[in-house]
Amino acid sequence: MNASIRKLLVWTGAILLTATLTGCYESPTVTLFEPGVYKGADDPLLANTDNGSLNERFAGQMDR
Amino acid sequence: MAKMKFLCDAERCIECNGCVTACKNENEVPWGVNRRRVITLGDGEVGEKSISVACMHCTDAPCSAVCPVDCFYTTDDGIVLHDKDLCIGCGYCFYACPFGAPQYPSEQAFGVRGKMDKCTFCAGGPVDDNSVAEYDKYGANRVSQGKLPLCAEMCSTKALLAGDGDMVADIYRERILKRGDRPQTWGWEKAYGSTV
Amino acid sequence: MKLIRKRTVETTGKFTGLGETIDRRTFLARSGIAVGAATAATMLTPGRVRKAHAASSEARIGPITVKKSVCTHCSVGCGVVAEVQNGVWTGQEPDFDSPLNLGAHCAKGASVREHGHGERRLKYPMKLVGGKWVRMSWDDAINEVGDGMLKLREESGPDSVYWMGSAKFNNEQAYLFRKFAAMWGTNNVDHQARICHSTTVAGVANTWGYGAMTNSYNDMHNSRAMLFIGSNPAEAHPVSLQHIFRAKENGSKMIVIDPRYTRTAAHADHYVRIRPGSDVAIMWGMLWHIFENGWEDKEYIRQRVYGLDEVQAEVAKWTPEETERVTGAPEDVVKTAAKMMAENSPATFVWCMGGTQHTIGNNNTRAYCAFQLALGNIGKSGGGANIFRGHDNVQGATDFCVLSHSLPGYYGLSDGAWKHWSRVWDLEHEWVKGRFHPEQVEGDKGKPIHPMNYRGIPVSRWVDGVLEESIGQSDNIRCMVWAGHAVNSQTRGPEMKKAMSKLDMMVIIDPYPTHAAVMHDRTDGVYLLPACTQFETYGSVTASNRSLQWREKVVEPLFESLPDHTIFYKFARKFGFENELCKNIAVENDEPDIEDITREFNRGMWTIGYTGQSPERLKLHLANKHTFNTTTLKAEGGPCDGDYYGMPWPCWGNPEMNHPGTPVLYDTSKPVAEGGLCFRARFGVEHEGNNILAVDSWPKGSEIQGGHPEFTADLLKQLGWWDDLTAEEKALADGKNWKTDLSGGIQRVAIKHGCAPFGNAKARAIVWTFPDRVPIHREPLYTPDRELAAKYPTYEDRKRFYRLPTRYMSIQKDDYTKDFPIVFTSGRLVEYEGGGEESRSNPWLAELQQEMFAEVNPKDANDVGLKDGDMIWIETPEGARIKVKTMITRRVAPGVVFTPFHFGGWYEGEDLLDKYPPGAEPYVRGEACNTAFTYGYDSVTQMQESKVTLCRIKLA
Repeated sequence: MNASIRKLLVWTGAILLTATLTGCYESPTVTLFEPGVYKGADDPLLANTDNGSLNERFAGQMDR
Repeated sequence: MAKMKFLCDAERCIECNGCVTACKNENEVPWGVNRRRVITLGDGEVGEKSISVACMHCTDAPCSAVCPVDCFYTTDDGIVLHDKDLCIGCGYCFYACPFGAPQYPSEQAFGVRGKMDKCTFCAGGPVDDNSVAEYDKYGANRVSQGKLPLCAEMCSTKALLAGDGDMVADIYRERILKRGDRPQTWGWEKAYGSTV
Repeated sequence: MKLIRKRTVETTGKFTGLGETIDRRTFLARSGIAVGAATAATMLTPGRVRKAHAASSEARIGPITVKKSVCTHCSVGCGVVAEVQNGVWTGQEPDFDSPLNLGAHCAKGASVREHGHGERRLKYPMKLVGGKWVRMSWDDAINEVGDGMLKLREESGPDSVYWMGSAKFNNEQAYLFRKFAAMWGTNNVDHQARICHSTTVAGVANTWGYGAMTNSYNDMHNSRAMLFIGSNPAEAHPVSLQHIFRAKENGSKMIVIDPRYTRTAAHADHYVRIRPGSDVAIMWGMLWHIFENGWEDKEYIRQRVYGLDEVQAEVAKWTPEETERVTGAPEDVVKTAAKMMAENSPATFVWCMGGTQHTIGNNNTRAYCAFQLALGNIGKSGGGANIFRGHDNVQGATDFCVLSHSLPGYYGLSDGAWKHWSRVWDLEHEWVKGRFHPEQVEGDKGKPIHPMNYRGIPVSRWVDGVLEESIGQSDNIRCMVWAGHAVNSQTRGPEMKKAMSKLDMMVIIDPYPTHAAVMHDRTDGVYLLPACTQFETYGSVTASNRSLQWREKVVEPLFESLPDHTIFYKFARKFGFENELCKNIAVENDEPDIEDITREFNRGMWTIGYTGQSPERLKLHLANKHTFNTTTLKAEGGPCDGDYYGMPWPCWGNPEMNHPGTPVLYDTSKPVAEGGLCFRARFGVEHEGNNILAVDSWPKGSEIQGGHPEFTADLLKQLGWWDDLTAEEKALADGKNWKTDLSGGIQRVAIKHGCAPFGNAKARAIVWTFPDRVPIHREPLYTPDRELAAKYPTYEDRKRFYRLPTRYMSIQKDDYTKDFPIVFTSGRLVEYEGGGEESRSNPWLAELQQEMFAEVNPKDANDVGLKDGDMIWIETPEGARIKVKTMITRRVAPGVVFTPFHFGGWYEGEDLLDKYPPGAEPYVRGEACNTAFTYGYDSVTQMQESKVTLCRIKLA
């Protein structure tokens, strides 16, 4: 068995090991449940809504 | 701040399902998941009436009240949204919802429920606005683009209205006055706690 | 962060027992579960949907190009706004600027973006070899099919190849296709108009001049009453309801007459249920009340109507008792409808295929016209005969006469017509004539006729063109070409199948394989050529209200599909007449230039005024949609100021004349130059010694204050107006008339003097050239009532009619009612269109209607012992049968069964899924109802009788 093949095997083994172990790993950031409190991601829309243009746009739904 | 509301004028709804396919089109909702649907009462009989139904974005959303993981939030404009990463697909919200809005794609094997999916008022979800991630998980975000839900914008007879609740109510009241009939705002009172 | 879109600123499932009724959604929800389970392997699974998602969201990154098109489903003409990214159609926005739909769409319009993906499309040319579909190249396909056709031409003459065109063509393609068929040398060319509104066109054109919708959807805002008969726009033309409701909310009365309590009827003020096939009876029954009470418009009739006295004599027979006996509608219900129409003026009248598809379809349409004439409702804003057409461009394809009995513009097939078009085409008439079979044949009237002048076999009868032995052409049809046509819209399935086996060759040119690809038992000689949709090409399209709209190309043709005009150019080159076909049309990469085609028909379509709508004017309207008033359709300021949206035909003269188009036909309150008109002088100046020109009535500003004949060069000379023509105009106009003067000068001068180029006559309530001079009631061939059959018998059989023997009495004389006691009728669903192949291949639509069904009244269900959801056989007297699911509902009356007609892909109980080319199967398949519909053809146009026959139902 020559050196290059051995090297390849070692690397393959290392990658496989990493991949396998990754599967066992769990994220340490656990969402702790607190009744009545939303703990999801923030929605950028909350600060982003332009009511002026929405109201203008509403004209499309009227009878013309 | 405006409060976004839906209203379906049953005198005008003809059950053409334009709202349903507009929703499918805009949000690429998969086969079997219906964020919006049209219900017909007394089909084929005198007095037949149709109403287009989706999540009404209730003022005090019952789905939010029963959610065991509190995945719901309400935007300043009154749009009720949820974080699919928190959702556990338990189905409580479906039983709480008076409109049958929550949907669960049966993606997994053995019929296990997937994450809940529902109408977002075309306002996406808690991901960067108009990102690929937002589109894939929640669908379109028209509101951030200054547009209103496509179902209402494309309604064939302008029966389905979506927008600032006050403006929606104004239009409807004008129609009622003109037609001289009594308001039949199926679902409005239940969702928003007041009459038109 | 990858932004997918830039912000663009732009202008009850409860248990039902035996005989219990059910609503359609619940019914579908249940059947959907079954479909989902049964077809899990073949239909899209959620996993695959997700995958498709990811791919299309990637395409959403990048700048947006906005393209404007028009929906390709019905004839309302809804504007479509498409957003394209990276060549992919990624978004669809409401077209708020369109005055026709104001942003609105029905289920079909709101889902057209799916056509930009077309997973179930036919992807490349294919042929059937030993029962297997084999892929071919376009070159091989054109060569192989072309060689086959040339061989048949050699052996059996050009009439042995049948060219079925389409209402899905745009105007340019329709025109080029008709020209192509002429140059192949046949009149065996036709399209969907034959089977949807041919009896309308014939009946209406023969009453007052033109056969089209007189007003517009928008003009209905002005109606004080609206009558719908055999028309269910809530499902067939949903966006029109926006305009209808506008009128209704302003106080207009809405009346629906239909055998079914339709979704439209559910919104009406008054509903009249009639027996299928009793349209003339109900109209005369209503007119009886109108004459009885003196509600008719006597002054209007004196000025503008001829022959109504003969109608009145016939109407006198239709007492309330007789009307109820024939139609089933009681006196008070009929009288209320008549009174509503008489007391609320102007009143409009809408009809669709419920009225047209009968052996007496032409009588029905003329009875509707006579009714409106009696009330003085024609030629008035808010009134009119608002005939809603079906397909997106069926009006245009009809106007370009993709029809076996006429050349474009309704010029007919006379030598004069051929000479006119030869001049427009810049070809020798003799060369065109030389393309036809040289020998005369015995014509419909028993006299010899040249094939060039002899109307060809209609769509409805192609089967008989293959199977009948004694026909009016040198040989039978041996090759069928269906270019955008659904065979499931034609009746008599078993005979069709037999005809398909007998053919030498079948060629299907379509974005989808269609029912024709699978319903036969052939193993060879079937070719599928992929055409693209109208979103992958561009050109003009005519909405039902006669407005032309320009479509932009949204995306490039998908897969290996090609636009129809490219495909026919390739065939023309194969046959060696490409230079004649495109003599004045530029061609690039085998694609004839669309604008050049528009300009060519602008030079020839004088009869109906398709001459003023140049590509430039059409594009100007496209860019300025928002400037048009949504009620009048008139541009208020802006670059199109004064024009009517889409320049509804007739748009007189050449484009430079800037005629605004005609929004309301025959409206004398406006000058002709501003869209006014009078009735057309089409039937001479006198009849049986009576003057038939208008009396004391003329379009506003006309210098001839009264009736006059149509304009000719000689009439201009007599009037002293000849010198109003320029020298160039005189050279072309001399010896010609308003229809054949290629300079447009005769039209220009007539209009300058305030006159309609086509004269000013009375409308006629009687048509002396038709089998029934006065429209009369005749029972359907398969009538449920023998007593009425004796009293109102059908016609005698004919030896030759449109080249074919045509049977009437030999069928009606037999009694089928014992074995087949139930009346069978059909109609539309909102989610699907036409033969349905395209819409059933669109998952967003297919999910909503997953199974073919039959509406059965609880009484019939209990008599047979059916419960909701049971599979039943519907069997008809000629031996055909279809297997469908029962839906129990009071929407239909006892004794009537209804099925939708959009399904295909099943044949007599068998799902033909395996016969489709892999990957091109529609998501939803079902029995084609027309498999079971029976013989019966209109006495003027050969429209099939697919709205009434007899059947029996039994548990499958």
